[in-house]
Amino acid sequence: MAMFPFIRKIDVVSSNSYLIRLPDAIIVIDPGGLPEQAGMLADVVADIPGDRDLPVITFLTHAHVDHFLGMQHVPLFVDATRSIIVVQDTGATALEEQDSRVTQAAVLGRGIISLRVGLRLFCRQEPACDGTLVRIPLPGGATAAVRYDAWSPGEGATIDRGRICFGSGSRIEVYRTPGHSPDSICIRVGRLLFIGDLPFAANPGIAGLAGWDQEALLRSLDGVLALLDRNDIDLVCPGHGRVITAKTARSMLAAAQTDARGLAGIEELDSERAAQTAAFAEDCMEQVNELFSVMAGRLWYVSYVMESLGESAVAEQADSLIRGEVIDELLDAFRAFSIEHHAGNHVSIHLALKAGQVIARLERAFEKDQLARIIDPTIVNRAERLLSAYTSMLRGFPPLVERETCDLNHVLEAVIIGCSVPPCSDDEVLSAADNEEAFLRLLLARIGTRPLLEDVSFVFRHGDERLLVLIDREHFADLVTYILEDMVGIGAGTVTIDVKCMADTVIVNITGTGRMVRSSQTWQVQGFLLWLAGQAGSSLTCEDTGEFRRFTIEIARAG
Amino acid sequence: MISVSGRVDSLTAGDLEQAINGKIGQGHRQILLNFADVTYISSGGLRVLLATAKKLRGDGDKYALCSLSAEVHKVLRLTGFLSIFTTYPSEGEAFARW
Repeated sequence: MAMFPFIRKIDVVSSNSYLIRLPDAIIVIDPGGLPEQAGMLADVVADIPGDRDLPVITFLTHAHVDHFLGMQHVPLFVDATRSIIVVQDTGATALEEQDSRVTQAAVLGRGIISLRVGLRLFCRQEPACDGTLVRIPLPGGATAAVRYDAWSPGEGATIDRGRICFGSGSRIEVYRTPGHSPDSICIRVGRLLFIGDLPFAANPGIAGLAGWDQEALLRSLDGVLALLDRNDIDLVCPGHGRVITAKTARSMLAAAQTDARGLAGIEELDSERAAQTAAFAEDCMEQVNELFSVMAGRLWYVSYVMESLGESAVAEQADSLIRGEVIDELLDAFRAFSIEHHAGNHVSIHLALKAGQVIARLERAFEKDQLARIIDPTIVNRAERLLSAYTSMLRGFPPLVERETCDLNHVLEAVIIGCSVPPCSDDEVLSAADNEEAFLRLLLARIGTRPLLEDVSFVFRHGDERLLVLIDREHFADLVTYILEDMVGIGAGTVTIDVKCMADTVIVNITGTGRMVRSSQTWQVQGFLLWLAGQAGSSLTCEDTGEFRRFTIEIARAG
Repeated sequence: MISVSGRVDSLTAGDLEQAINGKIGQGHRQILLNFADVTYISSGGLRVLLATAKKLRGDGDKYALCSLSAEVHKVLRLTGFLSIFTTYPSEGEAFARW
């Protein structure tokens, strides 16, 4: 047996392909999503000396377009006299009926034609499912035989198995492993195991695709983990990414299992949700750009001051808490991707997934806890919440909103105090002078966290009465903080918060005046702030006259 | 004076640093960066601004920025950078008050 892997850089356009030469047949596993890839496989098959009559058996680990679309127009794969397509029963129906949902053609914006499937695996109507040995006619007059059983690879795990035998004694085993899709299978050839997309089935933006099934996935993972525990598999060949050892595969599948357990009740990821998620990704990334620039800049500032004070070691330590270069590269890469995406009119899911990748890496690029001890923790926490909100949306979880009845004046006062009071007083810094460690900690926080409103004339006008509103307190506080940052950031000398109580609503006007820096582009409120206002349980409008900039938040009164 | 345009990001921050270092290398100790056409500055760009501030803090040195866009002004204000170097609303004001 000889195996030729075709390993691609990971993307959602096309899977890996594998070509295996057996004495009785040439096996292709997942010809991929691109015609050139399938064409290249056909060329390799044509170049195998002396094998022109061997049947080509094309297995699909599942019928998603990135695994099969490329073969649609490649003669070798659609020539029934030479080639046979083998897919699990549900996938076979999807291929023959051009089901754009099950194949993901709709969400990935691809067109499919009907493909004739030569062998449906695990078809309940077939006698082979009763354990009977059934002959399979192969192109060129050759035959094979298949027999199915419910097999227990290890304690507590059962997996539907099909054993396909060729005349020469070669054998292929297929295992039914639904979850990522209803038709997913794993394929064993000798000591190689082909597992399709099983390791990624719980990833954000993959979990929730049409046909995804959490319970089935958990069972399938149990079965394949038990199979790997038998120690008779050497290498595992995934649908995307490099070939891995059985040990590595075991770790990946165990991690997928942990992730999958937390995914109960996620929404289906269809074209509409992909579009919403992609739109949020762009709003979100604009804000992420700003937050990370501010966090890194704050830290560089602390480092600069500490170096000026002769504390080079501390400056260096502060520098290391955020990997600025990595963050910049990630954010720039997303921007470049986004520009290319819009220019090419690509489908939304690509952008949503790219944002998911970038955000997962951003989360690892800063030391949140240590950073929050030096720079304003509300900035660090907001960055963390924003990244988390995006990941949750991509995963398909409903937004985490906790509306409660609050006194609006108290909520606003808490935000204002947070933006006005330093993290520690001068007295506290001085009284810690005898303890070097404590002094340094307070000094860093003192330098790194300057109250937002310290150099601004600030007015808060509200009535004395309690103003009960139903809001998500955290989102609302974030909204007001972002608005105050906007005002202070553009140089407003005076910021006024004016609370007006109407019959059914409360209006909060936040107005900035003074010699503010004007934007060269037409200013409009960020989509992100509108989203945040909605999450908070309010609506947001704004106006910028040149003389002043005003944000108006409207909230329904409670009770 | 060095006029800067576009985005100061991971791709361009190095060019800005080179341009500034080139001037300093030629003996210029007073530098004004005109940011009129800059709409975005990344952490890498901020690092270049601070590195320049470190190089130009001797007697007789002067370092300032002018014509900041709202976006860049906001980042510099929120990071505390505005307390490190002087900024002017326009190139004209910068020269008038230099």
